Amino acid sequence: MKAEQERAIMSRYDFRKPAVRAIYGFVVLAIALISVSMLYPFVNTVLNSLKSTQEFFEFPAPFFPSEWHWSNYKESFGYLNIPMHFKNTLLIFVGNTVFSLVVLGLAAYGLSHMQVPFKKAVTLYFMCTLLIPAASYLIPNFLNLKDLDLLNRYWAFWLPAGANAFYLMLLKNFFDGIHKEMLEAARIDGASELRSFAMIAVPLSMPILITITMLGFSTTWNDFYWSSLVMQEDMQPLAAAIYTKIIYAGSTINWNVRFAILSMTLLPPAVIFLFFQKYIVGGLSAGAVKG
Amino acid sequence: MAMQVQPQAPAKADAPLAHASLGRRMKKYAWGSLFLLPAVLIFLLFLWVPIAKGIGYSFYQVDFVNGNTFVGLQNYQEVLGNPDFYTAIKNTLYYMGLALVIGFWVPIAMAIGVSELKWFRGPARIIGYLPSIIPAIVLYGMWQWFYDPIGPINTFLNFLGLPSFDFYSKEHAMFSLVILETWQNFGSATLIYIAGLSAIPKDMYEAAELDGAGVWGRIRYVTLPGIKNLILLLLVLQLISTSQAFQSQLIMFGGGPDNGTLTYLLLTTREAFTYFNFGKASAMGVLMFVFLVVFSLLTIKLRKGDDAA
Repeated sequence: MKAEQERAIMSRYDFRKPAVRAIYGFVVLAIALISVSMLYPFVNTVLNSLKSTQEFFEFPAPFFPSEWHWSNYKESFGYLNIPMHFKNTLLIFVGNTVFSLVVLGLAAYGLSHMQVPFKKAVTLYFMCTLLIPAASYLIPNFLNLKDLDLLNRYWAFWLPAGANAFYLMLLKNFFDGIHKEMLEAARIDGASELRSFAMIAVPLSMPILITITMLGFSTTWNDFYWSSLVMQEDMQPLAAAIYTKIIYAGSTINWNVRFAILSMTLLPPAVIFLFFQKYIVGGLSAGAVKG
Repeated sequence: MAMQVQPQAPAKADAPLAHASLGRRMKKYAWGSLFLLPAVLIFLLFLWVPIAKGIGYSFYQVDFVNGNTFVGLQNYQEVLGNPDFYTAIKNTLYYMGLALVIGFWVPIAMAIGVSELKWFRGPARIIGYLPSIIPAIVLYGMWQWFYDPIGPINTFLNFLGLPSFDFYSKEHAMFSLVILETWQNFGSATLIYIAGLSAIPKDMYEAAELDGAGVWGRIRYVTLPGIKNLILLLLVLQLISTSQAFQSQLIMFGGGPDNGTLTYLLLTTREAFTYFNFGKASAMGVLMFVFLVVFSLLTIKLRKGDDAA
């Protein structure tokens, strides 16, 4: 959308060579094909969820269902209490968000704008944990939650949500960009530290708070393995319930019903992505480039 | 106000701070410490304590009913004596290698290609990122069908007159997984590379072209060196994440066929949550931890040395 004459690797002169043009054409074609292959599974999943079982196995399978079988969706509710599991996911997400933003927000603000004893050591104490591989932490974390008697409780998600060095880093980086003078002014006007945090730092930091909320949503919505270990039966969030009951190696539930459940699970993140695209992509590059 | 004295305040107000009494200094730190305290406690309780415990548990036979018994190095001996342990390491390395060969260069090529597009650049980025928003469990559910012997991919192959491809056989299982994970993940890496590419000054291409470098030469000597650090960073991140892979292997193949997709972490979770050998699983976790921390420190050191040079 920027000025058309802005060049990248290739200049207009290059396009006069037939070989370059051929390769360029090939690249464009490849990108187009890849784009189609990216979109196809989405469309296919939704359309498959509306086919009858018979039509599903027709060979070659028709792309569009001849009749839209919404009954698959109805049937899927018989396999899974979707509203209940959805509610569980939401509860975990909301608690995680509140807890992590309050605990990490205070800490990040403290590190960036307040006088703190042993600042270097404390920062290291937090940031070191970025190096801990999730893999080696899975089993001890489970045993720890068991020792604390937190298994099968929402607190098993809410409390550990505050122990996230990556979010802490994002918040601190953002707070570092807030001018000290603004907070000075508030202090001189007699605002308490808590007040200047809540009334000045937080409103200025909305972009990063939204980014973290979005990251938290996709983590909670995605996670099926860990939550299937921590939560049992009716306490499980949606993804974990799908994993234990619907999608596992050797599942025999009808494909069209499976696809109905998958389509419903796909919808919320798709909608959120459409609305919050800017923040999600922003968080991605913030994490990757600075990490 | 107690907080009158600030280090950034003008020089005059600074003077009394030098002789601040202990009480005053404590007052100075009080609020800051209070802000940090919850996070310090949470990190302790849910990160540092479990890690310490994990090391401890690796020397115990963990029994939820009768209590734990100290067994010394027995867990480690059993882990190292289990043939599956070596299968799992081999599979994990194979998977990591395959992911590099098949998947690592794709986002680089894609980013260069998309940056050269005259139009459709914005949509291409968004479309490429779309698979990343698919929840893992949905992704595996979808691909179970795509890889099915009568699923869309084999239907398409047959339509072209090609024989069906058995995505579920032991030889192809890991390959199938790498394809699906590359499909899901390359879009986000592409976005990062595109951001890196846009930071390369355009006049460098101009200069290279005037010096007679062809398109390929410009990619080779300007573009790739320009994103070298990014490539290294994403390489390290990919190695760390693929070394810990187990979820797709679990859902798509359950570790099979014939342990063909049994990765290191899948074996660890199997020890823990199928056989309830939490001690052995902890020992495997410690071994992994040591390996990955050494690897991370090594790469940090290499990068530091690189920057200095």
